[in-house]
Amino acid sequence: MLYNATELTRTFKGRRVLNLKHLEIRHRKIYGLIGPNGAGKTTLLNLLAFLDRPTTGRLRFQGRDVEYTKQQLLELRRQVVLVDQYPILFTGSVWKNVEFGLKVRGISKKKRSPRIEQALELVGMEEFRQAEAHRLSGGETKRVALARALAIQPEVLLCDEPTANVDEENQEIILKLLQRINSEQQTSIILATHYLAHSRRLADYTLSLEHGTISSQVDEKIS
Amino acid sequence: MSLLLDSLQSAVLLLFSMDPELLNIVGVSLKVSGTSTLIASMAGIPCGFIIAHSGFYGKRLVLTCLNTLLAMPTVVIGLLVYAFISRRALFGELGLLYTQKAMVIGQVILIMPLVTSLTIAAISRIDDRYRKTALTLGATPLQMALVIVHEARYGIGAAVIAAFGRVIAEVGISMMLGGNAKGFTRTMTTAMALEYDKGEFVLAVALGLTLMTIAFGVNMLFHFFQGKTGIDAL
Repeated sequence: MLYNATELTRTFKGRRVLNLKHLEIRHRKIYGLIGPNGAGKTTLLNLLAFLDRPTTGRLRFQGRDVEYTKQQLLELRRQVVLVDQYPILFTGSVWKNVEFGLKVRGISKKKRSPRIEQALELVGMEEFRQAEAHRLSGGETKRVALARALAIQPEVLLCDEPTANVDEENQEIILKLLQRINSEQQTSIILATHYLAHSRRLADYTLSLEHGTISSQVDEKIS
Repeated sequence: MSLLLDSLQSAVLLLFSMDPELLNIVGVSLKVSGTSTLIASMAGIPCGFIIAHSGFYGKRLVLTCLNTLLAMPTVVIGLLVYAFISRRALFGELGLLYTQKAMVIGQVILIMPLVTSLTIAAISRIDDRYRKTALTLGATPLQMALVIVHEARYGIGAAVIAAFGRVIAEVGISMMLGGNAKGFTRTMTTAMALEYDKGEFVLAVALGLTLMTIAFGVNMLFHFFQGKTGIDAL
């Protein structure tokens, strides 16, 4: 099992925004998280990305308890990457952005270059490698953010509303890309989306979140 | 009016003649102010980052204290440091009084709150998504901090320039702790005050012009780098 959560809650200023009795997420599958605004999708993704810690409950990743020590968090974060709903690119070129995750891992320049090229080609942004990241459009920014995440070849890719605020052409590119990453690189993907159709099309399982709890889980390959 | 024009004319001639006394005064000013700005930046920028990024009990009080220290008159700092380094004081044996080191100590105390406060303001303006993105991409806390500092570099640069401007133009600390000794601790501002007392305006005006030119030059340099590195240029 990739993730295993028990009695997981997250409270902000006295308001419980997430309350999961039990959650299991399998390796190499695509999970769609659907639900209205405020259902707890982003909160759950932040917990799964180890960027936030639960108020109560237990989270296990690949059979190990998450203990939230500095050392363990760094190790876990280097296996899981979250692409934000409104991704932000660092000041500098597209190349520098995609290079970041590799650089912080101490990967040599010689080994970095082909991985950056490959990631940019995967999202169809190779011609923009020297472009200033802040000058890109919304759709291009999302694609570069995906390339930046993919360059580090994560075990798990978490995407918060990957198709929100982008035109139909870019939506299609992103959806096909996620499908390809999962089938070719065996990357586990969890995506939060407003669109049930996107989840049905891509996901192996669709989890519906309402008021911080999972109201239903559908196996899309059976249904 | 003619006094001002005559002084200006003589001052320009003095500047172009590269008068050794004038050069020495400018050199001492730049050395002392540059050193104190460097030390205050090395301490103030990390302090500002830590304060901006951590939520500790009493943070508001710390911010209020920092803002209060911004208004501290230079003569008060001069007096305070004097109380510690004068001959019979706690650190009297170190022989710091009326040296450039004493001036640097006083100036660091003067601008450290300024660098810290402006760094806090610059860091606080940076979108939290930079922190989150750096962490999710596998950055260590130090690497994440460097990302934030890089994104806030213009704000931090402005803080350093403001601090340099503050120390190069101050008189109180330099006069009280440096003693205005010719060739050793005489800075542009203390020399200007002295020349004014003597009724000699030429050197005072020349130094004033130099001071303004240095301030203009530093700001131009800052804007040049800002413009060269991209979209944040004014």
